[in-house]
Amino acid sequence: MSEAAPESEPAPSLATTGLTKAFGGVTALDSATVTFHHGKVNALIGPNGSGKTTFFNCVTGMIRPDAGRTAYRGRDLTGRPPHRIARAGIGRSFQLCRVFPRMTVLDNLLAAVRPHGLAGQLARSGRREETERARDWLTRMGIEHLERAEAGRLSWGQQKLLELAGVLMSEPELILLDEPAGGVNPALVDRIGDLVRELNAEGRTFLIVEHNMDMVMSLSDHVVVFDRGRPIAQGPPQVIQSDERVLGAYLGI
Amino acid sequence: MRRGSDTRLIHLGALLAAAAIALSFPSMAPSPYEITVGIAILNYAVLSTSWNFVGGFTGYISLGHGAFAGLGAYGTGLLVARAGLPPFAALFTAAALVALIAVPVGYAALRVRGASFVIVSIALVLILLLVFQSWASFTGGSRGLVVPRPFPGMLRAEHHRTFYFLFLALLAVTLSAWWVIDRSRFGMGLKAIREDEDKAQSLGIPTYSYKLVVFVVSAAFTALAGGLYALWFGDLDPVFQFSVLGGAYMVLMALLGGVRHLYGPLLGAVAVGYALEYAKVEYGDTPLHLVVAGLLLGVVVMFMPDGVIPAATALIGRFRRSGETSIREVTAAELRERREQPNRTEVKDGERSGT
Ligand SMILES: Nc1ncnc2c1ncn2[C@@H]1O[C@H](COP(=O)(O)OP(=O)(O)O)[C@@H](O)[C@H]1O
Ligand SMILES: [Mg+2]
Repeated sequence: MSEAAPESEPAPSLATTGLTKAFGGVTALDSATVTFHHGKVNALIGPNGSGKTTFFNCVTGMIRPDAGRTAYRGRDLTGRPPHRIARAGIGRSFQLCRVFPRMTVLDNLLAAVRPHGLAGQLARSGRREETERARDWLTRMGIEHLERAEAGRLSWGQQKLLELAGVLMSEPELILLDEPAGGVNPALVDRIGDLVRELNAEGRTFLIVEHNMDMVMSLSDHVVVFDRGRPIAQGPPQVIQSDERVLGAYLGI
Repeated sequence: MRRGSDTRLIHLGALLAAAAIALSFPSMAPSPYEITVGIAILNYAVLSTSWNFVGGFTGYISLGHGAFAGLGAYGTGLLVARAGLPPFAALFTAAALVALIAVPVGYAALRVRGASFVIVSIALVLILLLVFQSWASFTGGSRGLVVPRPFPGMLRAEHHRTFYFLFLALLAVTLSAWWVIDRSRFGMGLKAIREDEDKAQSLGIPTYSYKLVVFVVSAAFTALAGGLYALWFGDLDPVFQFSVLGGAYMVLMALLGGVRHLYGPLLGAVAVGYALEYAKVEYGDTPLHLVVAGLLLGVVVMFMPDGVIPAATALIGRFRRSGETSIREVTAAELRERREQPNRTEVKDGERSGT
C-alpha cells in the first residue's frame, strides 16, 4: 500500500475490518479493511462494480455484511439497524438520489427531525424552530423558493440539493455521499463541491464516492481506492494520482 | 397567508355542517330503520378510518383488519356473556386485549413488505374464522353468540338512537386520533415510510417501531368498532365477523375517499355503506353487491389512485389556478437566474486546492 507517511496520525472516523459481502457468486466486498479520517473530506474511488455502494450499504446497516466489523470513532456499529447508525451520527445520500417524492420540499426536511419522548413524537410537526432550521438549509442549498413544491417534481439537480439538505437536517457528524456529482451540470458540480468544503470547515466529516476526478482531487484530503471489493491504495490525492496500481486498475491508462 | 386561512374557514364550516347533520339525523329519520342504516354507515366509517391508520400513513395495505373487528366483537361478547363483565368495561377490555394480540401479529406481518404483507393479513382472518367456528363450546360456533343487551329496559327505537350516538362519538374520537397523528412528528415519520422506507430509516426514523405502534393503534380502534357492533347487534356469527370481505370493504372505502385525507375513509364509508344497504333492500343479499364493489374498486384504483377527495381537489384547483404558472416553469426560470449570478447565495467560491 502506498501510504503517505503522516506526521501525526489523524483521528479515525469510520473504520472497517475484514468487511465482506457476496451477492450469489459475486464478491462485492472482499475483506475490506479501511479507516477514514475524522474531520476530513475522504474520498472512496474505484471502477464501476468495485463495491463502493455496497460498502456504503454495509456500513449504514442497509445490508448485512457476511463478515467483518464496522466502527465509528472507536464505537462498534456492526449489525446495528440503519436508524441506530443514523442516530450515531452517520448520514448518507443515495447513488440514485432519494427524496420523499410526494412530500413538499419543506416536509422532506421536517421528516428528518428526530423527536424525543412520547410528547416529542406527538408534538406538531413543523414548529417554528424546526421550520426555521429547515428553511436555513434550503436557503443554503439555494432551493428555498421551492419549499412548497412537491419534491418529485424538482429537477435532478434540485433533488440532489434537497437530498443533501435532508441529510443535514438530521444533524450528522459524518456524511456519506454516493456520487454527489453524478448526472448534474458542471455549475452544480462546483456548487456541491463548495458546499462540501464549507460544511467540512464547519466541522463535518465527509466520505465521498465520486467518479469526477477533478472534484475528488480538488476536494479531498484522503483518498482510498477500491478494486474488486478491497482497498488497493490509500493516501493524499497527490500520491494517489501517481500510484501505478491506481492508474492500472482504475484510471485504465 | 390569506389562502390558508380561507381554506381553514371552509374546512371548519364544512365540519360544523357535517356535525350538525349527523347529530340531528336520528330526530329527522322517519323510522328506526333509517337509524340502523346510519349506524351501519358509522360503523363502516370507524372501521375504514381505523384501517387508515396503517393504510393511509404507512401505505401498508392490510386485508386482515376484519380479524381485529371480529376479535373486538367476540372479545366484548364473550366477556359479557361468559365472564359477566359490564358491557362497556368488556368493550374496552376487549380492545386492550386485541391491542396486545396485535403486537405479535404486527411484529410478524410488518417484517414483510408489499404483497406478502397482504397475504399474511388475509391468512390471519381465515385462521381466526376456523378457530371460532370449530371451538363451538366456547364461542357458540356457527350457531352464533348471543350478547346480552347493555340497556335491558330500553325500547328498540331508543336502543338504536343510543347506539347511533355512541358510534358517532367513537367516530369523532377515531378521527381526532388520526388528525393528531397526521400533524405530528410521528405522523411525518410514518408518511416518510410510505414514501420510501429505506430512506426514512437512513434519516434515523425507527421505521419498524413506528409501523408497529401505528398498527397496534389501528387494531385497537378497529376492535372498538367491532365491540360496539357486538353490543348493538347482540348476535355474532364467525362467518360475518371474520370475513376477508369485511376487511376488503374497509380498504375499498378508504381508497375511494382518499387515504391521505382525514375524511377520505368517512366519505368512502358513506358512499359504499349507503350503496350496500340500498342493494340489500332492493335486491336482497345477492352476490351482485360484490360485483359492484369489485368494479368500483377497479375504477378507483385505475382512474383515481388517490381517491375521490384528491381527484376533486385537483379538478377544482385546475379551475382556480388558471392564471398561475406551474412549479416546473418557475423552477427552470429561477435556476437560469441563479446560474447567471453564481454568488447570490451564501455559497462562496472557495479556492481550488490541488490540481
Ligand atoms: N443488491 C445487489 N444484488 C446483487 N448484486 C449486487 C447488489 N448490489 C451490488 N451488487 C453487485 O456487487 C458488485 C459491486 O457493486 P457496487 O457496490 O454497486 O459497486 P460500485 O458502487 O463501486 O459501482 C457489482 O458486481 C454489483 O453487480
Ligand atoms: Mg455505486
